[in-house]
Amino acid sequence: MNNVIHARSVDKAYGNKKVLSGLDLDIASGTVIGLLGRNGAGKTTLLKSVLGLIRVDKGTLMTMGENAWELSARGKSRIGYVPQGYRPYPWLQAGQLVEHTASFYPRWNAELVERLLREWTIDKAARVGSLSEGEAQKLAIILALGHEPDLLVFDEPVASLDPVSRRDFLRMILETVAERPCTVFFSTHITSDLERVADTVAVLKSGAIDFCGGLDELKDMVKRIRVRASGVIPQDFGGVGILSRRVQGNDGVFTVRGYSDSLRPLLERNVGGTIEVEDLNLEEIFLEMTR
Amino acid sequence: MEINVNLYFQISPTSGVPIYRQLFDQVKICIAMGKFTEGQFLPSIRDVAKSLEINPMTVSKAYSLLEKSGHLEFVRGQGMRVPASPQVSHGVVSPEDELAPLLREVVNRAQQMSLERERVIEKFNEFWKGDGHE
Repeated sequence: MNNVIHARSVDKAYGNKKVLSGLDLDIASGTVIGLLGRNGAGKTTLLKSVLGLIRVDKGTLMTMGENAWELSARGKSRIGYVPQGYRPYPWLQAGQLVEHTASFYPRWNAELVERLLREWTIDKAARVGSLSEGEAQKLAIILALGHEPDLLVFDEPVASLDPVSRRDFLRMILETVAERPCTVFFSTHITSDLERVADTVAVLKSGAIDFCGGLDELKDMVKRIRVRASGVIPQDFGGVGILSRRVQGNDGVFTVRGYSDSLRPLLERNVGGTIEVEDLNLEEIFLEMTR
Repeated sequence: MEINVNLYFQISPTSGVPIYRQLFDQVKICIAMGKFTEGQFLPSIRDVAKSLEINPMTVSKAYSLLEKSGHLEFVRGQGMRVPASPQVSHGVVSPEDELAPLLREVVNRAQQMSLERERVIEKFNEFWKGDGHE
């Protein structure tokens, strides 16, 4: 099996608060996957479980073929991780933190790290504690790339980056995956960024994966349908998985999650009228799916 | 002549249309309008992905669909090019066909609002002459 991450029936609770419940997920090698979910949906818990930083209560969770909780040192050395708000050793200079981090890894691409520090104008002499939020985040990202990991995990990587730096970050992900085989797993709230770089999207809802698949596939199947019926609009007009509905007389607006063009004639027949199918962008889809 | 990616393609990630489909449509239009000529090579998947800052898999998907539909042909070791043979050009959607879905939407919407046909055509003519607002 060539899955970098493999989860089956994973449960995790903090006290009696269930965070993950019956979670299944498979991530193939080389995927750039964005994880979407509302606040408190369990995104960080999922990412940390995958890294072996949190032990799940039940189920199977494998990372690069190993049990995530018992990940070997070799396994860990193949992972790059940027947590939220990473700012260790505030008394060190940025350059010293780079050297310190590099010393843990047998393989370190100093040339890449130097180039990124230059491009992102991180002053190596500045104390880590004095860096701005955005600078600290950039530094953390650079440190996660230095050992050229096979799996990159980012928890809200662009949260404190300005638009220019966000673009730089996206470009960097694209360059990284173009240069060598690498899997990227990141959580975000900024759906437009996800749309650019991710090929796969996973939606986390009530502790489980509600959708995991191609971004294009998701856009092709979640649609808003405007209906003008000749008579009363039926409650359900044909097995398309209705996410929301607004009906007034003979007019209705439905959001469905199982649309395909081949269904169109059937839908029109069922409502006995005309339908108009609108595309939704990822943000709208996310809102409809997690409402 | 080399095709400048940013000159011909414009991607909007926040649009509801999947990015691969935006690219697919734009290549088709460029071919239909004669901007890309027979025998011309398209930029590599990597170049397009880099210039537009999108995932290479997305570009690859658009290209393979264009190959399947006959708008492009794959030349081993050289990439994708606009086919020279006339028999594949019938697969090229005419500019009129490109407009059909948009027009249908306008008609649908107008009927929903119970607008007179004449009123819509009048409005259309205004836009055509560039007098339309927006």
